Amino acid sequence: MAKEMMLSGCASSAQAAKMAKVEVISSYPIRPYTAIMMELSKMVANGELDAEFVHGEGEHGQLSIVLGAAAAGARALTGSSGVGVTYAFENYSPIAGGRIPLQMMIADRALDPPGDFGSEHTDAMSCRDQGWLMGWAETPQEAFDNCLINYRVGEDHRVLLPQFVCQDGYFVSHIPGPVSLPEQSQVDEFLPPYNLPHPLDPKRPVSHGPQIRPDQGTIMDIQRAQAMLDAPAVIREAIDDYNRIFGRKYAPFVEEYMTDDAEIAFFLMGAHTMTARHAVRHLRAKGVKIGLVKLRFVRPWPTEEVAQALSKFKAVGVVETSTSYGGAMRGGNLLHEVRASLYELPQRPLTTSFMAGLGGEMVSLEDFYHMTEVLSKAVREGKTKKTVYWVGFEAED
Amino acid sequence: MFKIPKGKEVPLGCVTPAPVGEQPMMITGNWREFRPLLEPEKCDLCMNCIVFCPDACFQLDDAEEKVVLNEKYCKGCNICINECAPGALTAAYELDFDDGVVRLDKPF
Ligand code: SF4
Ligand code: SF4
Repeated sequence: MAKEMMLSGCASSAQAAKMAKVEVISSYPIRPYTAIMMELSKMVANGELDAEFVHGEGEHGQLSIVLGAAAAGARALTGSSGVGVTYAFENYSPIAGGRIPLQMMIADRALDPPGDFGSEHTDAMSCRDQGWLMGWAETPQEAFDNCLINYRVGEDHRVLLPQFVCQDGYFVSHIPGPVSLPEQSQVDEFLPPYNLPHPLDPKRPVSHGPQIRPDQGTIMDIQRAQAMLDAPAVIREAIDDYNRIFGRKYAPFVEEYMTDDAEIAFFLMGAHTMTARHAVRHLRAKGVKIGLVKLRFVRPWPTEEVAQALSKFKAVGVVETSTSYGGAMRGGNLLHEVRASLYELPQRPLTTSFMAGLGGEMVSLEDFYHMTEVLSKAVREGKTKKTVYWVGFEAED
Repeated sequence: MFKIPKGKEVPLGCVTPAPVGEQPMMITGNWREFRPLLEPEKCDLCMNCIVFCPDACFQLDDAEEKVVLNEKYCKGCNICINECAPGALTAAYELDFDDGVVRLDKPF
């Protein structure tokens, strides 16, 4: 029987890694993700988990350790937060290009300056185009589930890509929520053993990461692009199996809440979705036709699913928790992709974005009510005034 | 969906069988503008070229008592020329040779 416990996102992630039977773990401390490693190191010390626990001399070293381990045929896990994520940046492309499906858990954190430790998606989002799977968890339960789902998808021979499994620092990583821990047999049924088709092996010597010729570069890029194109079908299969084996109800890419007959909607991912749900529920009670759409994977970006989900609304407010300074929308990263997804539609909803939850700021119910007013006004006037609203800091809406 | 022209295929993740001797998949000879040219009568077999070539392009032919250049992998860095004390090696323009390779074209 599955047992229900109250666990923080870090604790639930460690439990998931244990049940995934990770074989090599590399760590380097930075809050808030460190709590994952604290839990795992205890498990290794207690003999609950049979894994090599290796300390990097920094995040770059951390990623190099798991790259070697996963290339040699071990299921490997690492993680980081904030500037730790960006310090390891050089390693992300070689890992994805070498098709080594290791996992990195990110409990996100604002980048410096000057040392803000609050949650923000910018750290991981800055790494989104390297060929890693990427998505955010809304709850500790989802953080647990995403670990297993991502290992399964990433290690599938049709995909073979590493995975950034992200959760909002503090809001998810440190606030306990109910987590249903499955039986080991369920996990074993869902997640086959790690099996790399091109491992380092003394009996069959190979070179990983050799110098290549310029004319081989494009073809390497095509391989990675193809893996991303093939990933959605594998994700759908994995989610179907996950829902069946563990009794969950995940949609693979976009989850809708109270969207029937909704005229306006929030589009967002991660921790603040929970507050947005309550805002939507309260607003519905007052007769506002509002819903929300939650994104589960940023990479691969589910273009068709986003277009289909959002096409039925009159106005959509994209809640951004990351920055894209100087970008086309002058705000965050998501509206670029949302607008690109909607472009081919004959009839597009109005779209705008709300910068909220930056630097670890909470996004309150009042903030969501305020965004609702902006969206309702856009529907009334048939246009949005701006592509971005910095919530709480606009001279005029 | 993609069409990779024949002969252009790259193994998954560019993982290649570890080379024994030469690595035929990673030929660098088409990088060079200069080719080291050996005048055997000036060579005193000091072995500097063998030791200093970063790509191990020079080898000693024991029987013939001479050093031999593997042109397939010489990328034209000219280090050997710099290190050759008796001046047995000089830099010649690659494209002055009949079999000269055009830079970054695929010669082999
Ligand atoms: S030019 Fe450079 S690569 Fe070529 S043989 Fe001399 S040292 Fe080696
Ligand atoms: S460095 Fe010059 S002298 Fe020495 S072995 Fe090579 S070619 Fe001969």
